[in-house]
Amino acid sequence: MYAVEMRGIVKQYPLVRAVDNADFLVKNGEIHSLLGENGAGKSTLMKILYGMEQPTKGEIKINGNVVQIDRPSRAINLGIGMVHQHFMLTPVMSVAENIVIGCEPVQGLFFDQKAAVAKVDEMIKQYGFRISASEKVKNLSVGEQQRVEILKALYRGADILILDEPTAVLTPNEVEELFQIMRKLKSAGKSIVIITHKLKETMDIADRVSVLRDGKMVETGLGMEGITVSDLARMMVGRNVELQVTRKSEGIKEAYFKVHHLTATERGSQVLKDVNFEVHKGEILGLAGIEGNGQSELIEVLTGLRKTDSLDLYMGDQPVTGDAGDFIQKGIGHIPEDRMTRGLVLDMTLEENMILGYHRQSSFENKGIFKSKAVRSYVNEKMEEYRVKAPNAQVRLNALSGGNQQKVVIARVFSQNPEVIVVAQPTRGVDVGAQEYIHNRLLDLRDEGKAVLLISADLDEVLCLSDRLLVMYDGRIVAETIPGEMSETELGLLMTGGSQQKEGKKV
Amino acid sequence: MNNLTAYLIPILTATVSMSVPLIFASVGGVYSVRSGIMALGLESMMMTGAFTAVVGAYYTGNVWIGILCGMAGGALLGLLHGLLSVRYKVNQVISGIGLNLLALAATTLLMQLLWGTKGNSPQVPSVGIYIGGLSVLVYVMIVVVIVAWLVLFKTRFGLRLRTVGENPKAASTVGLRVHAIKYTGVLICGTLAGLGGAYLSLDHMDMFVRDMTAGRGYIAVVITILARYNPISVVFCALVFGFCDAVQIYLQGQGIPSQLIQMLPYIVTLLVLTFGVKHITPPAGVGMHESD
Amino acid sequence: MKKFMIFIRNMNSVVLAIVSLTLAVLISGVIMALCGYNPFEAFGAILVGAFGDKRAILQTLTQATPLIFTGLAYTFARKASLINLGIEGQLYAGAMVTAVVGVMDFGMPMAIHLPLALGAGILAGGLFAGLVGFLKVKFGSNEVIATIMFNKVATCLVAYLVNYHFLAEGSGSAQTEKVLETAMLPRLFAKYQLTIAIIIAVGACILVKYFFEKTVVGYEIRAVGQNQLAAETAGIKAGKLMILTMFISGAIGGLAGATHVLGVDRRLMIGFSPGYGFDGIAVSALAAENPVGVILSGIVFGALRAGSMVLNRTTSIPTEFTNVIQALVVLFVAAPLLVKEMLGVNLMKKLEAGKEEAADE
Repeated sequence: MYAVEMRGIVKQYPLVRAVDNADFLVKNGEIHSLLGENGAGKSTLMKILYGMEQPTKGEIKINGNVVQIDRPSRAINLGIGMVHQHFMLTPVMSVAENIVIGCEPVQGLFFDQKAAVAKVDEMIKQYGFRISASEKVKNLSVGEQQRVEILKALYRGADILILDEPTAVLTPNEVEELFQIMRKLKSAGKSIVIITHKLKETMDIADRVSVLRDGKMVETGLGMEGITVSDLARMMVGRNVELQVTRKSEGIKEAYFKVHHLTATERGSQVLKDVNFEVHKGEILGLAGIEGNGQSELIEVLTGLRKTDSLDLYMGDQPVTGDAGDFIQKGIGHIPEDRMTRGLVLDMTLEENMILGYHRQSSFENKGIFKSKAVRSYVNEKMEEYRVKAPNAQVRLNALSGGNQQKVVIARVFSQNPEVIVVAQPTRGVDVGAQEYIHNRLLDLRDEGKAVLLISADLDEVLCLSDRLLVMYDGRIVAETIPGEMSETELGLLMTGGSQQKEGKKV
Repeated sequence: MNNLTAYLIPILTATVSMSVPLIFASVGGVYSVRSGIMALGLESMMMTGAFTAVVGAYYTGNVWIGILCGMAGGALLGLLHGLLSVRYKVNQVISGIGLNLLALAATTLLMQLLWGTKGNSPQVPSVGIYIGGLSVLVYVMIVVVIVAWLVLFKTRFGLRLRTVGENPKAASTVGLRVHAIKYTGVLICGTLAGLGGAYLSLDHMDMFVRDMTAGRGYIAVVITILARYNPISVVFCALVFGFCDAVQIYLQGQGIPSQLIQMLPYIVTLLVLTFGVKHITPPAGVGMHESD
Repeated sequence: MKKFMIFIRNMNSVVLAIVSLTLAVLISGVIMALCGYNPFEAFGAILVGAFGDKRAILQTLTQATPLIFTGLAYTFARKASLINLGIEGQLYAGAMVTAVVGVMDFGMPMAIHLPLALGAGILAGGLFAGLVGFLKVKFGSNEVIATIMFNKVATCLVAYLVNYHFLAEGSGSAQTEKVLETAMLPRLFAKYQLTIAIIIAVGACILVKYFFEKTVVGYEIRAVGQNQLAAETAGIKAGKLMILTMFISGAIGGLAGATHVLGVDRRLMIGFSPGYGFDGIAVSALAAENPVGVILSGIVFGALRAGSMVLNRTTSIPTEFTNVIQALVVLFVAAPLLVKEMLGVNLMKKLEAGKEEAADE
């Protein structure tokens, strides 16, 4: 008997069919990967299972019984728990409060805080989660917050766990920890569905895999024996995909973007501690590290958005000072790590976004008034060159897919021919097809002789694109290497502060 | 400054007396904002409460029924605000101000229709019970504040309310009835604000006057924010305003122009706001909906 | 069919405005009837008072003038996602300063005196609001609270100044001296109160629209309003722009007060504003925060006021009903979902089906 049987599920929205006649079956005590590109329908399908969405057609059976799941509390009653990609936590409250909310222990009229903490502590010990029940959630790391989410589901008696893109925000080590937890839960009899677009993880942890493409279930319940990563990629995208775009550098030239003695403090503690490195022309210098170790602050410094205690910054032999506007003028291009919050104004048109940051150029404006014709032809030109899929330049940006939105950011920056480019998380939330394109464009830039600093939490991306690699931990550069020299485990160790051997080498 | 000691008791008494309606309304505001709904409509709830209290007292001759009617009137407006915010997902700033406009128009209109007057209603019985020089409603207020604090921070309901206000989506995914909780928050707000209004018309005075609350509702909004959405802190913030109001009369006797004194509480607030207080963060989910 | 559906979708805010107005009128009519009054008599009087003859239309426009200004002021601030609830205070600040400059007798011709007086009012309103912007940017003050506080400070300050320093001699009420003729706004028609202020108001709206659509600073302000972080990352100086936005918003509010003093009362009378500042929020809402829409919206609310004056004179129906209409309009405009529900879901279903058709084609 299956733990979950979804048959003939259809989800129709006014304009689009998100799920098209999909079957999905989960066996008891298995780890089942639900694979697909962004927008393929995996989250929708699971939201239907969890009662957050209602199917237009189709039937669901849990442990053999036909059920109607019309709201999350019904799913919870049936033993289904969901851990969302974007955590559903209340940061200002404690771990215990977050977990017991909705089924709180009471004493008389009052909420029994002590009992809640005790119960949660017990569960933490049982599953070996290593967090503190009375700690405020906002003080936890991302990996720890995820554990709180998992506990939430377990506390409510979940036997079927749905994890939505759980590794998107984790380091390699945290991913391994998560997998261990998943195996432990599996041996305790839980059935786990992991929604993901990451092929490697499916290979590592899943017993069986189902692949969604454009709402249709391309493969369902496929056993993992004999399956390769390329097989999975082909199923996901529908064609053969070059997974690892690599082109060795044509020639690394002189050092150009020089960062020395960079120290920065925030609220009394040092966030950047004597950072030194140089990016050469014709090179992609990769920066690997777990989010939260100073990368965001480093990016802000290098793009003029943050004040420092000390910094010697040079482009060639010209010192670089000023604010964000000055940095952009001097030819430092910035692809922000979160395009939605820093890169784009979603309510503005494609056109308006395409010139953002460069809008004060004389080619675009005259005495404070825009030259609309000039702007329009520029934007249309770039849309074609960078293959941005949109009806026209006047649409609102939030009508575009994630990949196309990212292309707008890239088109905007690359077209201005910056000498230095600071790129952060370039393919986050971007599907495999667009990812290939973006990686190729980055390599093109490098081959044109630009200096590229690539910061990414995606170790694969950093390893395959970089000519040289730095590892950042706790606000310091802790290692410098060439991709291939160190194993991923060693790198992962350095990223989490282990291994004292390779200390900050001067570059 | 001999006059000062002679004035001290009256000033302190007046301080408390001026603060009472503000405290009721602001504590109500705390519940509203903590459940995720902005409280710019406090003025409407107070004004309606003041009016319905007088209506109730007029037709029954009983001041306590009047007070209950005041609470009901405020609750009605709280419900309206809830409907607009929760079900119809309005821009809460505009709906608050719109309801304020509506309350002013409606109460003036009803006064005209019921009693044929445009300025003030006929006289009605007033509370008139004093303990230790303070109206009995002051003691009621103290109890209300303590209960409000306990409920908000120590009960299951309060925990759920606060979760809804911080993250309605999260609350809905654990099966909390987000809509019901928001409605409850806003009904509590209306009831308390209505009580504050009833105090104005049935205790402080003994009739309803056109535009009786005269912007106190907006001051209550300010107090709610400055008190960081905590019922106990509300008392202290409100007392500052009450004190300035009360001191006005004393200072006027000293020959300082009344208009300048009237400015005092607002300038004090501005200074506090600018220099004394770090960024006040409201609950993260204010104005949000579970289906965003 | 496809073109019509796209038309309906894009017309949404205008359709909503018209529907809100209609619903508000209908509901008020029902309430009137329930109270024993004749709604047709009431609306008849209002329409006559608003549009019945030349006099009525001019009265409507006169009433609309301050509302267009305050509506524009609120709308302007909204473009940077700022909530300026202090327009009432900025209005009074502008009025005060203008009244003072207006009585200065230095033998200036109108070509100098009038712009000077107006300019002073604009500056006063702008500085008042700009200060709020400064406090917000430098100290993180919440502008909702700050503007409410400044309102009170402004009205108290003005009351003090008028009563203790600028009181008109021998006058029974709290008001300043009449301004000099060289500072008076020219009337458009003899014996009627309407001045060129209406032209200034309409001009200002068009200027603001152009400002936001075509200029670089307007673009930057919009970026800050829609995504401050992205704007800052792009090198836009968000803090300075927010202060500038508040300044201009307050300046327009100040202009509202200034034109009233120089055009209508020809002096500053305490309490001359029956809440123009807050009504500006209503005007802006009905206009869906569109600068040009503010013109029409202001006229609508002006019509209500003009009509209500006639209603008062010619019938025994309480004029508070017009205030009720106004409040209902604001509420309906803020609640499109409510309006949609009242219209019947069917209409929306047809629109949805139309969208699907359009997508499939």
